[in-house]
This record gives sequence, C-alpha cells and structure tokens, in this order.
Amino acid sequence: MKPFQGLKASSGVLAVLAVSAVMLLSGCERPPMESVQHGYRGTGMVQVYNPRTVEANQDIHTAPVTLPQAPGNGPLASAVYKNVQVLGDLSVAQFARHMVSITSWVSPNEGCTYCHNPANFAEDSKYTKVVARRMIQMTQHINADWQPHVAQTGVTCYSCHRGQPVPSQVWFKEPDQHRGADFIGERAGQNLAAESVKLASLPSDPFTPFLLGDLDIRVSGTTALPNGNRHSIKQTEWTYSLMTHMSSSLGVNCTYCHNTNSFSSWEGSPPQRAKAWHGIRMARDLNNEYMEPLQPTFPAERLGPLGDTAKINCGTCHQGAYKPLNGAQMAKDFPELLKSAATRDVVAKK
Amino acid sequence: MAEYQNIFTVVQATGPVQHGVELGHGNSPRSGKPFLIHLFGRLGNAQIGPIYLGGLGLASLLCGLFAFNIIGMNMLASVDWNPIQFVRQLFWLALEPPAPAYGLSIPPMNQGGWFLLTGFFFTASVLLWWARVYRRATELGMGTHVAWAFAAAIWLMMVLGLFRPILMGSWSEAVPYGIFPHLDWTAAFSLRYGNLFYNPFHALSIVFLYGSALLFAMHGATILAVTKYGGEREIEQIVDRGTASERAALFWRWTMGFNATMESIHRWAWWFAVLCPLTGGIGILLTGTVVDNWYLWAVKHGVAPAYPAVFPAVVDPALMTGVKP
Amino acid sequence: MAMLNFEKKYRVRGGTLLGGDLFDFWVGPFYVGFFGVTTLFFSFLGTAMILWGASQGPTWNLWQISIAPPDLSYGLRFAPLMEGGLWQLITVCAIGAFVSWMLREVEICRKLGMGFHVPAAFAVAILAYVTLVVVRPVLMGAWGHGFPYGIFSHLDWVSNVGYQYLHFHYNPAHMIAVSFFFTTTLALSLHGALVLSSTNPAPGHTVRTPEHEDTFFRDIIGYSVGTLGIHRLGLFLALASVLFSALCIVISGPFWSRGWPEWWGWWLNMPIWK
Repeated sequence: MKPFQGLKASSGVLAVLAVSAVMLLSGCERPPMESVQHGYRGTGMVQVYNPRTVEANQDIHTAPVTLPQAPGNGPLASAVYKNVQVLGDLSVAQFARHMVSITSWVSPNEGCTYCHNPANFAEDSKYTKVVARRMIQMTQHINADWQPHVAQTGVTCYSCHRGQPVPSQVWFKEPDQHRGADFIGERAGQNLAAESVKLASLPSDPFTPFLLGDLDIRVSGTTALPNGNRHSIKQTEWTYSLMTHMSSSLGVNCTYCHNTNSFSSWEGSPPQRAKAWHGIRMARDLNNEYMEPLQPTFPAERLGPLGDTAKINCGTCHQGAYKPLNGAQMAKDFPELLKSAATRDVVAKK
Repeated sequence: MAEYQNIFTVVQATGPVQHGVELGHGNSPRSGKPFLIHLFGRLGNAQIGPIYLGGLGLASLLCGLFAFNIIGMNMLASVDWNPIQFVRQLFWLALEPPAPAYGLSIPPMNQGGWFLLTGFFFTASVLLWWARVYRRATELGMGTHVAWAFAAAIWLMMVLGLFRPILMGSWSEAVPYGIFPHLDWTAAFSLRYGNLFYNPFHALSIVFLYGSALLFAMHGATILAVTKYGGEREIEQIVDRGTASERAALFWRWTMGFNATMESIHRWAWWFAVLCPLTGGIGILLTGTVVDNWYLWAVKHGVAPAYPAVFPAVVDPALMTGVKP
Repeated sequence: MAMLNFEKKYRVRGGTLLGGDLFDFWVGPFYVGFFGVTTLFFSFLGTAMILWGASQGPTWNLWQISIAPPDLSYGLRFAPLMEGGLWQLITVCAIGAFVSWMLREVEICRKLGMGFHVPAAFAVAILAYVTLVVVRPVLMGAWGHGFPYGIFSHLDWVSNVGYQYLHFHYNPAHMIAVSFFFTTTLALSLHGALVLSSTNPAPGHTVRTPEHEDTFFRDIIGYSVGTLGIHRLGLFLALASVLFSALCIVISGPFWSRGWPEWWGWWLNMPIWK
C-alpha cells in the first residue's frame, strides 16, 4: 500500500487519541494484574487484584500475635474480683490474659484506664467499660449463634477494632440534606458521589433500610411474566447501593457472589452468596440488639449527627478483605468468646 | 509518491457566502450574517449560518430553555447554591422523578413536581422542533424523511418518559435528568427486570446500533474512496449514474456478492438508524408491563445457555426452615 | 453470469497483491483473488471447528451453542482441545479470515482504482476484535479472558466483565464510545434522510439540489457540513465509536482493578475544590 499523504492530518488525529489515552491512563493503575477465575471458563466471573495495592494494604489484614493460653486452675475471676458480670468463670490467669488482650485489641495506646478507673477497677464509672461488657456479649453471640456466617473462624474484638477504640469503618444515620431552599433541589438520598457507594451517584445510605431495617433487598421477579411484583427501579438503586458497599468492603466484585446473567437465580450462584445472605441478617441483628440499645450509654462525641450510635456494616469487620484478616483464626485461641452469652451469664451468676 | 486520501481539505476554495434557496410565501427572512470558519472548512463546509428562526423554532427554544433551567436550578439548589460544588459535582447531580408512592398523581414541587414540569416543557420543545423540521422540509419542496427519522427518536424518548411510566402506574419509573444518575437508572432497569440482554428487542436495537456504525463506516469510506470520480455528489449520481456509483457498487458486489445503488444505500442507512430507537422503544415498553424477568422469559423460551456446574449446589437460605429470618 | 449491465468493462486484470494472475477471477458476483482463497480456507476451517465443538456440547440450539475459552490457569499456553484449545484455534482462524477479507478488499480497490478507505475502516474493526481476544488477554496473562463464541453466552460474558468493575457505565472511555455510537446513528439517519428527501421530493416538485440540502440544515441548526464533509464525519464517528470501545475494554483490568465510579475520585479530589 502506498503511504498516505493525509498522513500528516491523520497523524494529528492519532496524536489527539494518544494524548487522550495518556490523560485517561494517568488516572489509572498499571499492569500486570492478578486475576482469579471464580466460575466456569468464559463466563467472565473473575476477581481482579492489583498486586501493588494488595501489598500496600497487607498490614491492615494481618492478625496480631496471640498471647499464650493461661492455666485454668485456681480461683475463678468472679470469686476474686467484684462486679464481674461476664467471663466470670475464667480463672484469674485466664481473665487477666483476656483483659490484656482486649487492651491490645481496642486501646493499646490508652491502656487499661481507657475502661477502668485506676483507683477502683470494679467500678462502672466509665462508659467504655459498660460498652465493652456488652461488646464481649456481642462477640460471644456472634461466635455461638452466627456460625452460618462466621463458621468456625469466629471473631474477637480485634476483628472490628484493629487496635482502635472506634473501628475505622462504622456508619451513622445521615442528616437530612442541607437545603438551599425548601421548594427546590431535593436529592432523594442520592446523587452525591458518596464514599459509601464508592463515588457512584447511587443512594448514599443503604444501611438504614437494609442493615438496621429489614426492607426488601430482593427486587427481581421470580416469574417471567408479571406476577404482582411491585418493586420499583428506585428500590433497585437502593439495593445496588448496598451491593456496591458489600463488594468494596470485601475487596471483591459482583461476580464473587453472582453470575450476573441472572442476579436473582440461586442456581449457578457461588456459595459465597449464601454466606453474604447470613451476613446481612447478622448485621441487622447486631445493630438492633447490641448497637442501638447502647445509645444512652455513649457520650455525645461518640454519637452521629442525628444522635445515634455508631453501627456495623460489612466494612466494619471485613475492611477490604474477602474474609476478615484474610481468614486468620483468632477466636479459637479464646474459647471464652466462643460460647453463647446465655450460657456465660448463667455460669457467671452462680 | 504518497497519494492524497481526501480526509481533510488541503486547499479551501472560498467564494461568496450562500444565503440559501429562496423560501416561498409565509416564511420569515433568515437570521444572522453568514461567516466562514477555516477550521471547519478542512472537514466540511466552512460557512456558519444563516439560520431560520420562525414561530415554531422560537417556541421550541423557549420551552427547551425553560426545562433546561429548571434542571439546572434544581441541581444548583441541591448543592446549597454553591457554584464551585455545582461544577465539581455536576456529573453526579440530577433532577429526580417522584417517589413510587405518588403513583401517577402530581406530587409537591420539590417531591417530583419540578420533574414533571420539566418533562412537560422538554416534550413540548421536542415536538415543536419536530414540527419545525417537518415544515422546513416542505417549504423547500423536499421529502419529509428527516422528520420521520426524528419521530423514531421521539418515540423512544416518549416511551421512556411518558408511555411506560403511565402503563406502570408510576412517574417514579421515568429517567432522572442527570449524567451519572441516568446511567444508574439504566443499570437499575436491567437489574430489576432480569437482565436486559435477554430482551429480544434490546438485542435487535443493539444490532441496529452497531449496524448503523458499520453502515456509516462502510458508506462513508466507500464514498471517500470514489471522491476522485465525484462520488460525494450523490444526488447527481442517483439521477445519472456515473463511474463513481458504478465502482462503489462493484466494490461491494465483488466483496460480498450483492450491492446497493447510490440511492438504495441511503434507504439501508435510514432504516438501520431508525430501527434502533424504534425497536429499543418497543423493548422498553414491554419491560415490566408484559415481561417481569427477561432471563426467566428466555429460559422459558429455550434460549438461555446453561453452564456446567462448578460450585456445589446453593440453596436459597430464605427457603430453609430453622434459619434466622 | 450475475453481472450488472455496466459491469463487464470493469472486470479487468490486475490489482492483485499476491499470486499475480493465478486467482484473479470471479465466481458468480464474488471476486476471488489469493486472499479469497485464504478467506475460504480460514472460514471453512473455523466454522467446521465451531460445528464440531457444538457437536461435543450439550445442545444444537442456535442460541445456546457456546465455545468457551480455556480456564485462566492455562495462562498464555495452548490448552487441550476440549478444555479451550478449540476456542484458541477458532480465534486464529477468525483473525486469519478477517485479515484475509481485508486484504481481498484492498485487491478489489486496486482493481477498481478506488481509495483504500474501506479496508482501512475494516482494519479498525478487526483491531477491536483482536483487542478483545488477544491484546487484553495477553495483558491480563491468560487466554481465558477472551469472550466465548455463543450468541447468548457472549452476552453473559459482557455482563459479568462489566460487573467486575461494579458499574461499567462510569468507565470514561465507555461513556465516550457510547456517545459516539449514538451520534453515529443520529448522523446516519440524518444523512440517509437528507439524500432521500432530495431525490424523493415533496409531491409536485423536481429532484432537489445540494443547495437545498445545505439550506435545509442551515435553516434548522445554522450549519450544514456538506456532501463531502458528511462522509468524512460519518466515517470518523463510526471509527471513533469502535476505537473508544476497544480502549474502554483494554483499560478494564490491565489498567484498572476497582469499580469504575471510583476512578472519578481524581476529579472530585482536585485540590482547587476538595
């Protein structure tokens, strides 16, 4: 083929394309990427990871060192200490080990006095002690009663707190939209580039309806022809918001749980989807039974703009990993956290 | 020796500006003093203007500007009248349709009333513009093919904003006015109705969309390839076939075994382009009204592919007893 | 002999790239040429492999037949025939057939004294296909990233790959590509309609002139691109659609691993207004 005389002009077009490609790519990442197949070949159900990002975030998902087990002989903590309402059936050594562990998991910089009055360890004067007691019960409840989600891996305080008094990912109810005027500019809870939905313009608080309330997450019809399904497109956007949060807080994409050719079909869904179903119910349970009732206990600086407590969503525990701490089994080293609160309280009262 | 490919005009011949074919009785005089832009002349005509601004056009522009401003004001209000945030968040901002609870009733202004008002003026603007396109053709003694092509696009627009919401009994089903929000609507629509890829009219519409790109690439390239024989003078070539049309036709006949003529290619073009919004609108209209889940519909009609099981069978936990609800 | 009434004088010798006079003839209306032979070879082989693959599969239903690429675990190696190797061979045949078709078009252009715009445009489309089944899989490290050859199964692939990035509509190159596709369709409808409205005028009028066409568009929108310009514009719009489409998929994965809405953070977080 003869070379083009219009080469000068077409090279101008190519230059524009090249410049725009460079501009686009400067906001991007670079290859190579790791990809993990998660379905039949050719379906496109693949997880894509940037190894440089994974490397950079490694520390977040590393489990801390566990203290060696303490001997279980000797007097019980409930006999030796006053006002021991939970964990009373541990030996003093085991009890002390647990307390040291909690301190390193929740308040390593603040120390024991974050929860305790140093002059009187038994006192409940600090709100943190009251909250911590309830949190211990919550942890036991998760490990004993939510095995459909946490299986035998279980959780400890570290799973959420990661060495911080307040976990890095919690949520509060959103205040009403700040309005320029009452008669115009209604955002209807969306169109905001919210971090909670990873900068999409989807509704920014899917947690209140779905992880506190029990509004329908499922919106699709179960039959080909209409059969009374009145869910709207707007409701679907809310579900999409929740799903976006779930994906990003686990560091996975939609195909981790779904074959998107039919989101609603359970046939052909990866098993992770059932785990996630239980996870949603677990979050609701914890928010309603443990977090919300603690509202009177927290001081104002720990409450949200509408005066509500911090609450749990998927990110609180997962923090970007498909399993918290990449599946590290911390709970097994703390058998006192594995039994249900009911059993524990009964024993403690004896 | 490199050969000129006629992609850009290298030497522009400029003459007196053209004031257009004379219009008959009942038309306004044209507006604007025509001027030339050299850069435009490298691709096509250099002349800008004159423009015809009659009653229909004026009314259309007024309605359109009104609707545009309502959208803009709502967006600006939603960021607290902050112009910097308006620019920063522009792609995310929107004027939203009412909540589903309002059904087809007229809601308060800030709960969807502005949205409906905008829709009304936007529709009026488009329909007035359609009338303008129709009348400008008839005043010039031309066929009304452009207007009827435009009508196909208006069909799709009205299905999305009027016909389907009415059939579904809810204004909330309409598309929000906003860049990213209307894309959210698109994704949510497919999610709600069981994957629109399985909607046969959606598939047809895409066929015509990609087909239009294919056809314009083919036709544009073919004409450019025979401009040395005057191929771009299509009207002349249609009424008096010259070597340009003959070579163009033979290229395709020898390549794929059949060919169009200089006129009929424009019929292929018109139909492909028009059928895209036409079938698309049908597909939207049938969704939710006649079919609730397109994937299940495809399964029912035996077209959905099955894949070998890679995972152990998963049971819907909601169906299992003894599970926490 | 399937010839148009003006065709005979154009059926001359010459213009071939390869093979000289050996394949310089027509079968019915079709021009053969060396690349016609290679096209037939690759097409026949590729189609036969598709049919054979379908016969080894669970169905003959046209909508459900699917030839899938290999597992990702095979990387960039050749996979066993029934584990994706067939897909790989079919892909080679497809590329062979498409490139042969394009080169045959070049030979036909040379014979007819036409510019090479058509095969050049087709080469852009081939580039898009190669981007999907070669360039992107190579950048991702496995042939398994290609799309399956099946009517609905390839759409399932599109859906799943899209959702790998949570909300593919936010991909900026995808936004540009879609805009170009819609604009191409708009422009095609306008161009087709305009020419037809001139040659099929209102009742009682003679065929119109390019001056009428220009006047019509200047009256309506103040500008008319003209008879030459519209063909340049149409070709540009169509090719831009395809090029930006190829760009939008090649960056998804190799150059971006997160959701596409998150990419827009650079704009939202610019220091001037954060």
